[in-house]
Amino acid sequence: MQRIWAVVLSVWAMLAIVAVLAWANRPVTSPAPAAAAQTLVVKGANGKQQQLVVVQPGAVGATHATTSTSGVVR
Amino acid sequence: MSARLERSTFRAVGTNCAAAVTAGPHDARRASAALAAAQAEVAACERALSRFDAASDLSRLNAAGGAWTAVDRRLVEALRLALRAREDTGGLFDPTVLPALTAAGYDRSFEQLAERPARRAVGWRAGASVELDETAGRARLEPGAAVDLGGIGKGYAAVRALAAMREAWPLLPGGLVDLGGDLALWGETPERSHWRIAVADPRRPGTTAGVLLLRSGGVATSGRDVRRFGPGRSLHHLIDPATGEPARPGPLAVTVVAPDAAEAEAHATALAISAPAPAAAHVAGRPGISALYIPRDGEPIPLGSPPLAQARFVVRAA
Repeated sequence: MQRIWAVVLSVWAMLAIVAVLAWANRPVTSPAPAAAAQTLVVKGANGKQQQLVVVQPGAVGATHATTSTSGVVR
Repeated sequence: MSARLERSTFRAVGTNCAAAVTAGPHDARRASAALAAAQAEVAACERALSRFDAASDLSRLNAAGGAWTAVDRRLVEALRLALRAREDTGGLFDPTVLPALTAAGYDRSFEQLAERPARRAVGWRAGASVELDETAGRARLEPGAAVDLGGIGKGYAAVRALAAMREAWPLLPGGLVDLGGDLALWGETPERSHWRIAVADPRRPGTTAGVLLLRSGGVATSGRDVRRFGPGRSLHHLIDPATGEPARPGPLAVTVVAPDAAEAEAHATALAISAPAPAAAHVAGRPGISALYIPRDGEPIPLGSPPLAQARFVVRAA
């Protein structure tokens, strides 16, 4: 029984981490994507380790240009 | 050595401009020719399309009092695109708003505007007639009408400048033209990936509301965050064709992604004078475009499916 609870708790802990990361990486409010994927190591109830990798597809560097309402320079 | 981005910056069409190409280690001369071709084409477009230059083809057409006027082919093409955009946006974008715009006080280049109260143009109506003779390279406006190509002219110039780069360098791997935030782009980046376009967040200057990932097409942004004029800088620089007055509804800024920059500009102008619900309906009815609508209050609203960079998660064994 204790083992089942441990598994349930670890699953919930993992989901909570995913939710926090998803919130922290909201696409429309976040600044330019990070330069590299972030990796978190999560330890399961059975002692087995898993990596949670946050991937930013196609966005591994600085942006090439910015779009905005144009200002006036003349 | 790997590919890199060769870039040039310059001032034109009343704003900061840039052109960039993906170039290999032995492409310096070709890259330089392509960038020069882009800048020359933008200058040629400005000579044809600017309403602030009394000698431009557009100024001559506006002053012709309804007579047929021989003009540069760029102006004929830009007018054709503008008339198509007027139809496609249901009149929300209208190139013939100039009399209403000047009556409202936007009668000279933006930095010279006086803080005088807005007036409504007497007798002005939207949808004035514009006739084109593409074979002879001439155009005619309805008497009393006048055209402002403003934003769509910038988008058109960006498209032409990108085409000029590809003509100057036929094997160009990829390139981008940025005319004050109106972007035309095509091909590969030096990383052989998508072009990454930051959308400036007008609520927090210096920050980004999202990053667009694009292989080709056009991007344009319009809004009320920068260009305001009149008493207390309270007036929108866009005229609502439905009222003939500076627009009242609309977001702080809206960014549109479309197959080309001129089309993106026309729809950005249309959405910039639209409340959120009509803006969503506008985009839903046009599968070729998508947008990021940043309202005055609340969070940015993606309309359609703008190609925004999004995080995803992968779980794997350690």
